[in-house]
Amino acid sequence: MTGRQVVATGVGLAVDGLRGPADLLTPYQRHPGGFDPDTGLRGKRMRHRDRASRLASLAADAALDDAGLRSAEGAFLGTPTRTATVVSTNLGNLDSVCSFVTTIDEQSALALNSTELPNTSSNVTAGWLAIEHGLRAPNLTLSNGATSGLDALHWARTLIATGRADAAVVTGVEPDNEYVRRLHRDNDERSWPDAAAAVVLESADHAERRGARARLVLGPYQRATSADAALRAVLPAQSAAGQLLAEPALAADRPVLDLASWAGRQSGALGVLQCVAAAAGLDDPEGVAVAVSCQLPDAAVAAMAFHGPAPVRAH
Amino acid sequence: MTLDITGLGAIAAIGTSPEEIHDALCRSRSGLAPLRVFDQSKYRSHLAYEIDDRTEPGRDEPRRATRWLLHAVEQALTDAGLLDTAARYPVLVGTTHREQRSVELWWRGDAPVGFADLHFGTALRERFDVVNTFTFANACAASLYTLGLAADMIDNDMADTVVVAGTDSMTEATFGIFDRVQGGVPSEVRSFARQRHGMMMGEGAVAVVLRRAGHGTPSHARLRGVGMNCDAVHPTVPDAESVVRVVREAHSRAGVHPGDIDLVMLHGTGTVLNDRVEAGMLHEVFAGAKPMLTAIKSMTGHTLGGSGLLSLVMAVLSMRRGTVPPIHGLTDPMEEADGLDLVRDQARPAEVRTAQVDAFGLSGINAVAVLEAAP
Repeated sequence: MTGRQVVATGVGLAVDGLRGPADLLTPYQRHPGGFDPDTGLRGKRMRHRDRASRLASLAADAALDDAGLRSAEGAFLGTPTRTATVVSTNLGNLDSVCSFVTTIDEQSALALNSTELPNTSSNVTAGWLAIEHGLRAPNLTLSNGATSGLDALHWARTLIATGRADAAVVTGVEPDNEYVRRLHRDNDERSWPDAAAAVVLESADHAERRGARARLVLGPYQRATSADAALRAVLPAQSAAGQLLAEPALAADRPVLDLASWAGRQSGALGVLQCVAAAAGLDDPEGVAVAVSCQLPDAAVAAMAFHGPAPVRAH
Repeated sequence: MTLDITGLGAIAAIGTSPEEIHDALCRSRSGLAPLRVFDQSKYRSHLAYEIDDRTEPGRDEPRRATRWLLHAVEQALTDAGLLDTAARYPVLVGTTHREQRSVELWWRGDAPVGFADLHFGTALRERFDVVNTFTFANACAASLYTLGLAADMIDNDMADTVVVAGTDSMTEATFGIFDRVQGGVPSEVRSFARQRHGMMMGEGAVAVVLRRAGHGTPSHARLRGVGMNCDAVHPTVPDAESVVRVVREAHSRAGVHPGDIDLVMLHGTGTVLNDRVEAGMLHEVFAGAKPMLTAIKSMTGHTLGGSGLLSLVMAVLSMRRGTVPPIHGLTDPMEEADGLDLVRDQARPAEVRTAQVDAFGLSGINAVAVLEAAP
């Protein structure tokens, strides 16, 4: 790839019960004063949007605020034509698909709500994010299974590195609802809470030009047939990872931050949650963190390394 | 940018290979038929462009979109002479629905569905042993978006060879919401016709093998450039200016002028709005030039995520065969098409050196490709 280094300059969350990125570093619990979907997903600007799009919108707002790219009135302060939108989700529109079928079965297609037309297409959330902030550069939705979140970071970086965009808003989202819970139950998976995580990525020179602080630098990314192989491929040669964001089975001899234990092994939001957690946990500018997706039967695994923001290094 | 297209694969209502589909298009044969498994009493429209391949007629089965994807990818790899080494090449899949039809069958209790069924990576790995698989849910611009991403990968030395694909089966949720929303009840896809009543769904999958130029295998055609953007205006209403911008971006990346384009493969969904916006784009961008225009959805239906790449594959065959298929059933073009060269009535013998392919998706995402005949 060309040498355009890509950094994260803002992170944000909308996760049931969490107050902010730092809460990702401790065992999951619903904190008093944390995000409450029952009240937090309402409001006029949320009208006509599905649950995933509402969650994603809040996480993206927080990341844009963190990056200094949103005015007090909510206006986008970046360059719309040079800002890409990348979303990762697996079950974002499961509720629309299933509820439409129920309406058709119980009544007929004429009973469907016409304003929900965009919801059957899995890119609906990316569409709303782009509309909300006027983002006109390429718009991607990764629905690629358990690796989706890290894949989304990889493709957002690729859009920047290849010059399609200077910046990208990457949002991973999975809603909690009756349809999602039933799919989990039928597949022996545990349910997950409403969760959205967002990261603003920029080329390092773009961030520097506008005086934005880099929170972390995206490092190598690799897909592999096993979590172990993926991890080894991205781990810096000379160092053991400072922070490992993975399932405990991957490293018996060291502590891991296992976000999948509550966010879900099959979550399309997981990789973006891991990136936000890495940004929250990387105190050392020389530090390194590695995120690995979950090892699932017959599915590929992805890993990505994150470096502390200084010094600038090639990878 | 110059990249070789060295392998082609496709399946749709009117054929199980690119050549069969192109033959049917040139004979103006439509794939329209009565709904095969949906309960007709639930919808105003009772017609679609389905692939007639269910094991038991009248009874639906899961994972048809996956089956077609594997079929198209295997055809393309075989065509390129690369099937034996398939594991090496990343596969980028563009889709609107993924396997949402399988989800609908699960929700009704008719078939189980697992997480691995929702994307195509596991199926591709089982068949081709490939690990670098990516499913992009990019609505009806999806497969030209994946084409653009694949081109970027090769241009930036991330790969020498990439498989680009698209697939979609019909879902009741989408069939139903369009049935609800569209003003009339369309009797066929009537691209660019004065009397047109909306989009009608089709089914299909498509794949191409994209390689760095001169990388060994003979080339069917060359990809010159792909533009990709987003309207960021409205979820369902296309933005005319944005559509003009993405076409100009594609031309600029391809290093061509409007006058160089011999043929435009229209998005041409037959909705009132899409066709009006697309015609407006043609008048604005091609002022003074007059490319031939055709729209394959008039015979394949809207094959959704794969539709753009299917148009591209048909453009490649039109170049190779010197024959451009007509827009089926177009007797009375819309006013906005005055002065445009719509190919109609029958296939037109023509030399096509350079072609443009349009794809515009829900939520305002657009991708346009420019290709040229092999040297």
